[in-house]
Amino acid sequence: MSWTRRIRVVYQAFFLVLFLWLLARLAAGDPRDLPFTAFFHLDPLAAVGVTGAAGTLPGPLIWGVALIVLTILFGRVFCGWVCPLGTLQHLVSRLLSPRSRRESLRVNRYRRWYALKTYILVALLVGAAAASLQTGLLDPLSLLARGLASGVWPMLPGGKPVPGGWLAGGLLLAVLVASRFIPRLFCRAFCPLGALLGIFARFALFRIRRAGEGCSTCSLCTFACQGADEPLGEHRVAECHVCLNCTDSCKDGVIRYRFLAPAAPAPAKPDLSRRYLLGSGLGALVAAPLLQAAGGGRGAARAELIRPPGALAEPEFLQRCIKCSLCQQACPTGALHPAIGQAGVEGFWTPVLVPRRGWCEFACTRCGEVCPTGAIAELTAARKTGYDGAPPVRIGTAFVDWGRCLPWAKSTPCIVCEEMCPTSPKAIWLEEVVEPDRHGRPVRLQRPRVDPALCVGCGICEHRCPVGEMAAIRVSSVGETRDPLNRMVVSVPG
Amino acid sequence: MSRREAVTRLAAAGLVAGGVGAGALFFHDRRRAEASAPPIPDWRVPPSDQFPLAAAATGSDPADNVRRVVAVLGGMGRFVRAGESVLIKPNVGWDRIPEQAANTDPQVVAELVRLCRAAGARRVVVTDISCNDPRRCFARSGIAAAAGAAGAEVIESHRLKLVPAALTGLAAGLEVIEELLKADRVINVPVVKHHSLSRVTLGMKNWYGVVGEGRNRLHQAIDRSIAELGAAFRPTLTVMDATRLLVRNGPQGGSLGDVRAGNAVAAGTDPVLCDAWGAAQLGHAPDSLPFIQLAQQRGLGRADLKAIRQV
Repeated sequence: MSWTRRIRVVYQAFFLVLFLWLLARLAAGDPRDLPFTAFFHLDPLAAVGVTGAAGTLPGPLIWGVALIVLTILFGRVFCGWVCPLGTLQHLVSRLLSPRSRRESLRVNRYRRWYALKTYILVALLVGAAAASLQTGLLDPLSLLARGLASGVWPMLPGGKPVPGGWLAGGLLLAVLVASRFIPRLFCRAFCPLGALLGIFARFALFRIRRAGEGCSTCSLCTFACQGADEPLGEHRVAECHVCLNCTDSCKDGVIRYRFLAPAAPAPAKPDLSRRYLLGSGLGALVAAPLLQAAGGGRGAARAELIRPPGALAEPEFLQRCIKCSLCQQACPTGALHPAIGQAGVEGFWTPVLVPRRGWCEFACTRCGEVCPTGAIAELTAARKTGYDGAPPVRIGTAFVDWGRCLPWAKSTPCIVCEEMCPTSPKAIWLEEVVEPDRHGRPVRLQRPRVDPALCVGCGICEHRCPVGEMAAIRVSSVGETRDPLNRMVVSVPG
Repeated sequence: MSRREAVTRLAAAGLVAGGVGAGALFFHDRRRAEASAPPIPDWRVPPSDQFPLAAAATGSDPADNVRRVVAVLGGMGRFVRAGESVLIKPNVGWDRIPEQAANTDPQVVAELVRLCRAAGARRVVVTDISCNDPRRCFARSGIAAAAGAAGAEVIESHRLKLVPAALTGLAAGLEVIEELLKADRVINVPVVKHHSLSRVTLGMKNWYGVVGEGRNRLHQAIDRSIAELGAAFRPTLTVMDATRLLVRNGPQGGSLGDVRAGNAVAAGTDPVLCDAWGAAQLGHAPDSLPFIQLAQQRGLGRADLKAIRQV
């Protein structure tokens, strides 16, 4: 192995370990200000998608420009050297598929349908601009983080179950298993980020070039070609991951990675069909508004759609959420879960708070701190709790179910919800009554009641309610700060 | 590689990088996520000692009553200048015919439209947010036909655009008619009738009809809400329609047995005084109604019935 490949492997290992370590630190609640969002801030797909959907490029996402400039200089080095999902696929293809040389040649040949990723990119970006941001479904960084947070972390010791997490975990698994059969199949055929970088790689100043003289056309360069970009033929710079396996394996020394290497002549068959490009754009123009209008998401507030504290109003939120699961990974109580049906089709895999699984810790502002796109605004603890004098940030309101509550329905004393209520004064207060039990003996009971003017909807009452599967006090989204129309009482300002 | 090709490649790469950078800078933090509610304008004209604060007229012809009270107040030319846009806000809340007295009388509305037109109004909009199907309310109340024939642009509720309102005294989350915020002058034209919660529904209560989403929460504190709305919306003119009085089973009524002939119209620049007059038509002393007291305390007007000039 040559030094270039060794360096590349070191880079890949470093970024993969960094990605996993950051997720692990996030899950562990590391109080340090680690760069949890760095990968996502560098992600130009997130930047372009959010800009298209929201009409504005939120703050640090502008770092995506750096990755584009890097690509214009060196080609898709991100894919070959940095992307942790690429590295994992690379690893799978290397470890799990002992191949004959013939087979290696076959699986690493370019196929026209690899252009699918560009059609996917066009559909996602047109869809984002038209109505609905869905880049997060296939963004490799979101896909990996989500698969790990929802599929892998729950399996680890101490991990909390994520209902429906198998979907995200399953997608990640499928991507990795596919690489056993065709190396980096996801990168080659599906990755919208790779397709986006490929557009800029066409201008790359450094690139692979086969200098004509002395090539014995042995095809060794193609055996380990990760991008299926045909270094031996008319090299497709937009497909190349710059893994440099080809320069390394060329025993004639004719394939080189050079500054201002002459561009390869255009391939005999163009890699993109204009008709398909137009088709994917038009398809998205129809599908995205359909998702928005008929997918059952934004139109009206929903009881079970409890968003993290600081989440923007639903349309603005959906214009920014890239479904990366960082908030979910960061939530110390395990309250945030990927939505399956709660947010409509459009909001699939966006974060919702499930109080039975966890509660919103009163002074915790973790989810907003790690949201890479500002879909969840960053709050200070004083702002969130209302200690700064303004009304607190509410995510919903708790309701007592009189038919299930122990003091209300079962003549059994209990005050757990009131005890847990974090606001001051408490939103849950106790009404004292003396009531006969079935034998006529008087029982002193304290019945919990909720003051909607004080309740912030944190859900710790629902979480800690001793009434098993379905709590006797439950939170729904009404009263949430982010939606001024989703209100109940007139007297609560803010 | 030739020098020309090298320069071309470098230039292309530089241009693309520059373009991406410029695009990113253009969009960078271009828009904040929170939209702010536009302020509610003040549509009043300057007060004048020459004219009474309110006037009332009785007679069997509602249009004539309107003409007489407006004339005493200085004529429509005092309130509407040539080229201005006027929004007239009657009560078109219910699928009821005029005889049932749940909505403002169409002749009163139509006469106001004609007076505004004669004063040179560029555009007169008649609108309300109905409680029943707006198509039925506007048709069966007779208001769409009468106001349309008089030269108004009648906008039924379902065609209105609503925008967030800056009603800070009430909970956030109220939407109001955008047309209202765009109008130069606003004339509030309630019908005087019974209401089961606030006892009577008059001029300041009529502002419920410009509120869309969130309106159903205002009933929890109806008197305070009425006063808040009265403080937020300052009309050019209030015209009280007491042609017929719905005295029971308000605000919807239905039975002609609940309707009494009123044959009166009042108008004025003091909304609290106008409400006091309306309350009196239904036999309530103004001081007995908490929302009138609250409005007085807030300085929105004075419920002094002696200030009304009878014509």
